[in-house]
Amino acid sequence: MPDLLEIKSLTTRVSGFTILNNLDFSIEENELRVLLGPNGAGKTTLISMITGQFRPTSGSIHFAGRDITGWAPDDIFQAGISRKFQVPNMYETLSVFDNIMVSLQGRRRVLATIFQKLTSEERDRIWDILEFVELANKASDPADTLSHGERQWLELGMLIASNPKLLLLDEPTTGMTEEGKYKTAELITKIAKIHTVLLVEHDMHIVRQIGKRITVLHQGQLLAEGPISEVMNNETVRRVYLGKGKFQ
Amino acid sequence: MAEAVIRDDTAQDLPTNRARRSRRQYAAPPFLSIWAVIGGAAVIVLIGAYPYYGSSAYVLSLLGKFLCFAIFALSIDLIWGFAGILSLGQAVYFGIGAYVVALSLKLNYALDHPTRYGGKIPDFMEWNSLTAVPDWMMPLYSYSVAITIALIFPTILAFLFGVITFKRHIYGVYCAVITLAESLILQEFIIEYQGYTGGFNGITDYSNYATPGFLWFILFLVVVFFIVARALTHSRVGTVLKSIRDNDVRAEFMGYNVANYRIFVFCVSAFMAAAAGALYAAWVGIISFLDAGPVFSIEGVIWTAVGGRGTLIGPFVGAFLVKGAEFFLSGALAQWWQIIVGGLFIFVVLVLRDGIVGSIGNWLRARKKKATLHQVVEESDRKAHDLQREWRPAGEPETDGSI
Repeated sequence: MPDLLEIKSLTTRVSGFTILNNLDFSIEENELRVLLGPNGAGKTTLISMITGQFRPTSGSIHFAGRDITGWAPDDIFQAGISRKFQVPNMYETLSVFDNIMVSLQGRRRVLATIFQKLTSEERDRIWDILEFVELANKASDPADTLSHGERQWLELGMLIASNPKLLLLDEPTTGMTEEGKYKTAELITKIAKIHTVLLVEHDMHIVRQIGKRITVLHQGQLLAEGPISEVMNNETVRRVYLGKGKFQ
Repeated sequence: MAEAVIRDDTAQDLPTNRARRSRRQYAAPPFLSIWAVIGGAAVIVLIGAYPYYGSSAYVLSLLGKFLCFAIFALSIDLIWGFAGILSLGQAVYFGIGAYVVALSLKLNYALDHPTRYGGKIPDFMEWNSLTAVPDWMMPLYSYSVAITIALIFPTILAFLFGVITFKRHIYGVYCAVITLAESLILQEFIIEYQGYTGGFNGITDYSNYATPGFLWFILFLVVVFFIVARALTHSRVGTVLKSIRDNDVRAEFMGYNVANYRIFVFCVSAFMAAAAGALYAAWVGIISFLDAGPVFSIEGVIWTAVGGRGTLIGPFVGAFLVKGAEFFLSGALAQWWQIIVGGLFIFVVLVLRDGIVGSIGNWLRARKKKATLHQVVEESDRKAHDLQREWRPAGEPETDGSI
C-alpha cells in the first residue's frame, strides 16, 4: 500500500515553544490509525497543520502524491482531507438535513452553487447518511436542538457526506456517555472500512475496541508506533502516558 | 473511494421504517407559499393604487420613499441576516447610486432652466465659481449612462471592499467599524467637494418623477428584488451563506472559500442598495450628504432588526413601521424621536431578537410543533390501548380508551 499522507521532519514553533519537533509520520491508504498522547503532546496541532489551519515552521506534508504544505484550508479539503473538530462544530440554525446537504461532495465555487439543484441521487445519499448516523427522524430539526452526542454524530455524518480520502477525527467521543462512546467506536470502525481514518483518542477503552495501529506522540515527537499490544507493552509509553500499570 | 456509505450489512440493522416515514414527512419549504403571494399582491395593489383612491400628495411621496427604504433594508438583511456581515456603511452604496442619478437629472434640468446669471450649469456649481461642467461629468448627461454608472460603480466598490477585507479574514466587529468609517469618509468627501456634489445643501431643484406610474415602477422593482433575494436565499448558495453565517470555520474546512461567498453577497447587496438610492433620488427630488452617511446606514440596520433579520418580509415591515412612525409621530415628539428609535433598537435586541416577523414565525412554528407532539401522544395512547386489548383476560369490560 502506498502512503496516503506523508509528513517529513515537521516542526512547529509558536512564540518560542516547540509544539511539534522534527516529526516524521505517515498513514497508508485504507488504514485506521489511532493517535495517542498526553495533553500537550501536539495531537490537535498536528491535525491543524495537516488541514492548513496553521503553517508549519519547517518540514513538509505530502498528501496523495502532492505537496500540500501551506495550502489554504478549503484547498486542502478539495484535495480530499476532512476534519472533525474536538467540540462538535456544525451550522447551528440549519436543519440537520441542510447540514448534511451543505457538506455533500460537489462543486464549491460561488457561481457553481447558485444554480445547483439537489438531485434525487444526492437526496437519497443524504437520507442514507442520516440513517447511518441515526438522525433520520430529526432531519428537519435545527442542529442546535440536538443533544451533544447527536451533534457529534451529525458532524461525523457531514464528514462522510464530503466523501474524503482521509478523515481526521479529533476526539469524536468527547463528552459522551459510555454507551455513546461504544456506539461511536462502532460507527468509526464502519467508516474506516471505506475511508482512511486518523483518530485522535484519549479513552483507552475505545482504543482497545478499535484496536488497530497506534502512534504515540509525546512532547511533539514520535514516541512509539505499532500494533496495540506492542505499544501497550512498551516501557517508555507506559511511563509517560499510561501510568504504572493503570490500564492492565 | 466507495460511492455509497451504507453497505448492505449495515443497512439491515437500521430503523428503516421510521426513516422512510420521516423521508416522506420532510419536504423542502416551497419557493413562495400561496398565502405569501396573495398577501404580497394585496399589499402591492393597495400601495400602487393609492393615487386613485387617496388624495394626499404627502402620503404618496412617503409611500415611494418607504419602498426605496425597504429595498435598502432588504439589501442590509441579505448580508446581515443571511450571511452574518454587519455593515454600518451600507448607505455608501445607496448614496452613490442616489448622487449619480441626482447629478444626471440636475445637469439635464440646468440645460432648460438657466441660473440667475444665465449659466446652463447646475446652480451649486455656479455658487462654487465653476463656469462649466467638468469633462469627467459629461457622460452623466445621458440617462442610460448615468443609471449604468449608478448601479455598476457601487457594485465594483463593494467588490474592492470585499477583496480588501474578507480576503484578509477581517470579519465581524472589525468589518462593521471599517464600513462605518467608509460611510464617514464618503460623507466628508461630499461636503468637501461641494462644487461637484452640492456640499451641505445637497442637490435640489431638479425634475423628479413622483408620478403614479413611477410608483408602479418602484413597486415592480421591489417585487423583482424580493424574488431575487428569495431565489438567492432559497437556493444552494443561500444555504452555504447561512452555514458560513453560523460557523465560518466549519464551512472553510468543508472546502468553501468563505471570502468569495462573502464578496459575492456583498456585491449583490451593494447593487440593491444602489438601485434603491437611484430610485430614491428620482422619486424625492432632493438628495443630501445625510443619505450617504453613517446615521442613515444605522437606521437601515435598525429597520432590519425591528422587522426581523433573516426573514425577507422583515425589512419591508421594519422600514414601513419605523419610518412611518417617525413621519407621523416626530411632529409631536420631535426632540424625543431619536431616543425612541434607539430605545426600540435596544428593546428588539434584548427581547425580540428575531424582530417582529421572525418572532411571529417562531410562534407559528412552536404552535405547529405542539400540535404534532399532541398527535404523537394520541397515537401512542391508541397503540397502548390496542395492546391492552390483546392481553386483557376474557370477560373483562373494555375501558374507554384512556390509560
